Amino acid sequence: MEPLLSVRGLTVTFGSFTAVEDVSFDIHAGQTLAVVGESGSGKSVTALSIMRLVELGTRGKIERGEILFRTPDGDMIDLVQQSEDAMRAIRGNQISMIFQEPLTSLNPVYSVGDQVAEAVILHQGLDKDAANERVLEMFRLVRIPEAEKRMAQFPHEMSGGMRQRVMIAMALSCDPKVLIADEPTTALDVTIQAQILGLMRDLREQTGAAVLIITHDMGVVAEVADDVVVMNRARVVERGSATQIFESAAEPYTKALLASVPRLGSMAGRDEPAPFDLVEYQS
Amino acid sequence: MSPLVEVRDLCKHFPVGAGATVYAVEGVSLEVGRGETLAVVGESGCGKSTLAHTMIRLHDPTSGQVVLDGVDISTLGNRALREHRRKMQIIFQDPFASLDPRRPVGRAVAEPLLIHGLATGSEAEDLVADLFVKVGLEADMMRQYPHQFSGGQRQRVCIARALATNPQLVIADEAVSALDVSIQAQVINLMMGLQDELGLSYLFISHDLAVVERMSHRVAVMYLGQIVEIGPRRAIFENPQHSYTQRLLDAVPIADPRARRDRPLLTDEIPSPVWPAGTSPDRVVMREVVPGHLVAEEA
Repeated sequence: MEPLLSVRGLTVTFGSFTAVEDVSFDIHAGQTLAVVGESGSGKSVTALSIMRLVELGTRGKIERGEILFRTPDGDMIDLVQQSEDAMRAIRGNQISMIFQEPLTSLNPVYSVGDQVAEAVILHQGLDKDAANERVLEMFRLVRIPEAEKRMAQFPHEMSGGMRQRVMIAMALSCDPKVLIADEPTTALDVTIQAQILGLMRDLREQTGAAVLIITHDMGVVAEVADDVVVMNRARVVERGSATQIFESAAEPYTKALLASVPRLGSMAGRDEPAPFDLVEYQS
Repeated sequence: MSPLVEVRDLCKHFPVGAGATVYAVEGVSLEVGRGETLAVVGESGCGKSTLAHTMIRLHDPTSGQVVLDGVDISTLGNRALREHRRKMQIIFQDPFASLDPRRPVGRAVAEPLLIHGLATGSEAEDLVADLFVKVGLEADMMRQYPHQFSGGQRQRVCIARALATNPQLVIADEAVSALDVSIQAQVINLMMGLQDELGLSYLFISHDLAVVERMSHRVAVMYLGQIVEIGPRRAIFENPQHSYTQRLLDAVPIADPRARRDRPLLTDEIPSPVWPAGTSPDRVVMREVVPGHLVAEEA
């Protein structure tokens, strides 16, 4: 089957600094791909490049490579070659994105219902009433309790978990083909993280969207990913299915990364605390 | 030998207007043994940081006692408190925010030595050099500025500063939460090594249960300002008694795709710790499971 999104040989620079170098991967409909790596590995820049946001404000430049996206009409287009106007019609509509910190992604002076409705009105051309209907439907889909009442609330009146649900509702409101989630649960408590990850899994099944999740957390990867791309210092160092990566990682960097992951249950049967058994890694 | 720290029935309430009160810490009692790590776990807003800050008098307690090495420090005046502050130090989550960007990091580490009169100028420089080596940095690095360091190195600087006064208790308030996982593991190993070497007690505040399992001797679980379960680390992780402890443990992602679980999709949230005028939370009643392992009775 043809991929929905195919990144090929992507290289992104900021001045003389290469943030992403020759990165390639495919994502298929209904699949979750995790791009995992530590700070500065280039994983977020990769995500921002797909949205063509990397060139806005941050002076990043896509030097080389293609980002092929299959449109709902079945055409393959290269996002790198699209005009800003064309990208505006794609962003938030066919490809949407959620970020780590929902509070900074939401406007503090508008109710959350109005903010999600704005996206629907802009992209789907619905009138105000139809848009509000759609928002209510989305709030129920992401299991916001008392959805109707919540629509009138402002971001500061909601908890972090509820705000992230609003962001997911907004991202899904236009039926995107690809959902990019950049550290979507990093700022959330572990019980709320479990709720949001479960929600994302459910929604992928219900909507058939492809999900690209950017994370530093190997626990999150293990919970949601079908396939994994491991990045280090701007490059892909290893790729494979989630089980391959966790059970038979081949690259020294992946092994070192996995060795430093704290695992619940690793101390079962031992009375005293114990240091991590670190694997030396020299790049 | 008596424990290093005994906290007895500690309360910290914050008024929030219209007579309402946040019961951030409510009736907490615990002990931290010498050379021991007590982890305090719980979700955002459960009061774990307020508890730590109140223990070292960054907040004055509303009521209750904190006995450090035999002295009740909860009511000491500023002057009397100063000599005891030397014995307790704190490391915060964000080392960049904890260091002055315009001063070489060595000055930050020397400052507690000078303030507490533990060393004069040139002695302090030698001591700082020793501290840098102790936390795995090079002595020369003391002349550099915070922006010249990586996040992990900056946290090592903060650890060096915390150790400068030769403390008995070090509070780590989400001290490794912001670090990349490989760096986090190195800093945890460093902290554990320093504990063995110096006999330090840690109060380790964290939301990360997998990290807590690695490095703690005992664990306290906080919920809405109160401890709902406390006991040896193995008892809490292998035989959790309180439904909230179980829920927290169930929510931790397992780094093994084969162990993926289908969880029921919950949407419930933690209730507010704000109580309107004239109301207050009920105190939990603790029951002993086995000696040393206490759990709050559930309705």
